Amino acid sequence: MKILTTVKKVVDVELNIHVKDGAIVEDGLQYVINAWDENGVETAVQLKEDSGAETTLVSIGGGDNTDVIRRCYAMGIESGMHIDDPALEKADAFIYARVLQKVFEAGDYDLVITGKQAQDTDNGQTGIILAEYLGLPCVSNVIGIEVLDDKHLKVSRSGDAGTEIVALELPAVVTVDVSINEPRLPQMRGLMMAKKKAIEKMDLTALGTSADEIGCAAPKSEIVAFMATEKRSGGRKFEGDAAEITARVVDLLANEAKVL
Amino acid sequence: MNPIAMSLLLTVALGVFGRTMARKIQLLRALAPADRTNHLKQRLANMFVFAIGQKRLIGRARERSSGIMHALIFWGFCVLLIRSLTLYGQGFYEGFQLPWLGGGHLAGYLYLAVKDVMEGIVLLMVLYAVFRRAVLKPRRLHNTFEAYLVLALIGILMVSDLLLDGARYNLVHLYHNAKTIPFFNHPRYGSEFLWTPVAVGASALISGLGASANAAILATMFWLHICTQLVFLNILPLGKHFHVITALPNVFLKSLGYPHEKAQLLDLEDEAAWEDESLGVNHIHQLNWKQGLDLYTCTECGRCKEVCPTYTTDKPLNLYEFNDKLKHALLANADNIIRRSGLAAARARCGDDEQAAGLAEQMSALNSEKQLIGDIIAADTLWACTTCRACEEVCPVTIEHVPRIIAMRQGQTLMAEAYPKELNPALKGLERNGNPWGIGYDKRADWADGLGVQTMAADADVDYLFWVGCAGSFDDRAKKVSRSLVKILQRAGVRFAILGVEEKCTGDFARRVGNEMLFQMAAQENIATLNRYKVKKIITACPHCLNTLRHEYPQMGGNYEVIHHSEFIAQLVKTGRIELQPSLAGALAYHDPCYLGRYNEIFEQPRSILASVCQDAPRELPRHGRESFCCGAGGGRMWMEETIGKRINLERAEEIAGQNVAHVAVACPFCLTMIEDGMKELEKEELIKTRDIAELVAESMA
Repeated sequence: MKILTTVKKVVDVELNIHVKDGAIVEDGLQYVINAWDENGVETAVQLKEDSGAETTLVSIGGGDNTDVIRRCYAMGIESGMHIDDPALEKADAFIYARVLQKVFEAGDYDLVITGKQAQDTDNGQTGIILAEYLGLPCVSNVIGIEVLDDKHLKVSRSGDAGTEIVALELPAVVTVDVSINEPRLPQMRGLMMAKKKAIEKMDLTALGTSADEIGCAAPKSEIVAFMATEKRSGGRKFEGDAAEITARVVDLLANEAKVL
Repeated sequence: MNPIAMSLLLTVALGVFGRTMARKIQLLRALAPADRTNHLKQRLANMFVFAIGQKRLIGRARERSSGIMHALIFWGFCVLLIRSLTLYGQGFYEGFQLPWLGGGHLAGYLYLAVKDVMEGIVLLMVLYAVFRRAVLKPRRLHNTFEAYLVLALIGILMVSDLLLDGARYNLVHLYHNAKTIPFFNHPRYGSEFLWTPVAVGASALISGLGASANAAILATMFWLHICTQLVFLNILPLGKHFHVITALPNVFLKSLGYPHEKAQLLDLEDEAAWEDESLGVNHIHQLNWKQGLDLYTCTECGRCKEVCPTYTTDKPLNLYEFNDKLKHALLANADNIIRRSGLAAARARCGDDEQAAGLAEQMSALNSEKQLIGDIIAADTLWACTTCRACEEVCPVTIEHVPRIIAMRQGQTLMAEAYPKELNPALKGLERNGNPWGIGYDKRADWADGLGVQTMAADADVDYLFWVGCAGSFDDRAKKVSRSLVKILQRAGVRFAILGVEEKCTGDFARRVGNEMLFQMAAQENIATLNRYKVKKIITACPHCLNTLRHEYPQMGGNYEVIHHSEFIAQLVKTGRIELQPSLAGALAYHDPCYLGRYNEIFEQPRSILASVCQDAPRELPRHGRESFCCGAGGGRMWMEETIGKRINLERAEEIAGQNVAHVAVACPFCLTMIEDGMKELEKEELIKTRDIAELVAESMA
């Protein structure tokens, strides 16, 4: 089984994101592997260890993705490619899916594993659109994969009514949830080995396509501006006699907040 | 006198003993190196205090009776060694005496008197020891045949020597053989038997048997004594009584300057080390020779487990068993370990790559088939340790348990990548955001909003850096401690600053769980920051930060004067820079944090501070000071679930609650969390308030 896993480099959402003039302030930000993709990588590596699958990773855009890809190597991914092109600067899920389609077609993959969403945009579309482009079956929100044979998987997903078990014929696309596994933490030995491994870097031409072909000129969606979430100011505290306070609060709600 | 028999006995006994010892030493020499030959004066002092002085045997109140018993047997043995030499000599020459200890010298008489009394005392102590083992049965002891055999042998040694002297007395004074039996009879000091009341008392037991029977007893006791002693000597190295021989050197060779051997600064860039899997301890041959000597020396007395927070809460770590298992693994693999070290030496000399590879292959073929972690020591056992050092503090022969556990954790984490996966979120948090909570690094100084605390980045011209630590920065409860400390420092007019977002976790917990990579990354980054600001003096409220900054950063080139807030506040009070009102009502007890007390010898300062904020004198908990009981958070345990046995913090909270106090003071953010959680579990958090000393001081400032 040949697996293609996708990894997106995203901003560390543990940090305070500041916005200035409709754009994110880059200063002080750090970038990490998208958490769901980390689960995808772990899934692929486990399939390699348990079922002898071959694992390939692809990451799109983001400038220097070396650290992200090396981390995946340290987790156990065998080969990786980074596709970047100035034309991808404003890429949306459709464009990412087109690029992934090209990658899939250039290889001979049986299974695509993506995180079910990316923690920066929280769109959750790319994997599903890719399946549509490829005309392949897709199971989203996957929480377990069992290999039946070379061509068949038993996949469980978290659905509305509970866990759904889906029989899946390969080739196929799955998008995984964080509950599928606990990603391993790359250790020194793996990180050292990862440093020696090559990363295949390609632009769209090298991938055998062009900005036009994948629709870079006219993205179906575009981020116009970022806005910071409004900060809640601290509430007011009243101390003293309960009856007095009640009267005062009612007065404030009626006359100041004008909600009564 | 029988020179032939004596020669034969000595040759055989010493020959066998020499061979056993040579083998034991050879095995130690085949283990990894350790440097323990510096500071001879201090080493000798330790030997006098801990080994010869028996400090940890007689110095602990709860163990005093057995401690005195042991000390008397030990000191009796030291005295009797001289007598033994005399007896060996008498096997060759009738009436042999050591120089100055013969009948012509007062010293000879004095020695006989001391020896005589000591023999009586040792005999009584042996009887007490048997009674203790057989009847009192202290929980820490496990009764073995070896223990009784050794007590029996000691008893025989005493009885035989006393009867030997008793028979001599009878023959000289009762049967008038004064001419043929040598004995001291000095014109001024009189007959030697005037000086030996115990032997004379023993003589009464055999006085009615007649002259020939007494002569026979004399001869029999002489040879019985000699033979028992030689048998005893040869039994010693075979079991736990090897400590009779190894305890003195083990104490002499103990770690100096820090309570135990510091975790090794591993060269993680050394590719050969990765190839040889030689980082940390994953195989029994990777122990160093001092750790081997520790294993030889373990007396299985069980003091370690009795004070161990994990053993006493039903976890699988039983330290003496841990030592015993390692010792057996060491001895079982002795041949291979010795051969392996020969091959390693040949490999180091060899210039030819192919030959070296061949040697390496032969070496790995000599590895024990049993996995050190898994087959010999269970993983749960290795990871249970909170690194609190209670075990080391009570060990009479100064065995260093914790560094061995950390080295084994290093082996597991680095080479085998086998560590509790529940640590991953904390390790990942450390890696990404420089704190085990994984909260964004940019929020690190949020606790100080509105307090007017400056950062080093804004102005580094200050006297002190306040190292806040992760808990003090991110944990809501510990943030209050940070704010209190700021209030104190500001009141005292101390010129200080914080690093703010530039501060990272010191890496303490990563190192304790064997993740040397993350420790070194964190330390490197922090040292670069500290050195960039030319930081000289650091104040911190976290004993774990204190310990790492003070003792471990120098390994990587970070040298600072690191002061715990309890030391600093005590100084501020003493010099009158802050004034405290003894306003706190209700009884208060102080819980000693392990990394403050046992690791850094800071016991008095927190107590002196508390004495000045409390209306009544602070109370001591049953387990306090050097023998304080861990809260359960050390050694990375803060970041692991505690699923086996009773929770350690609950055990400690119950102990505190049992003292009828209204407050418990701590001086560590992790103790604060653990003990407060324990109080919550007991539903006593309102009755017994858990407070850091900084909070109490801030509230008591005039």
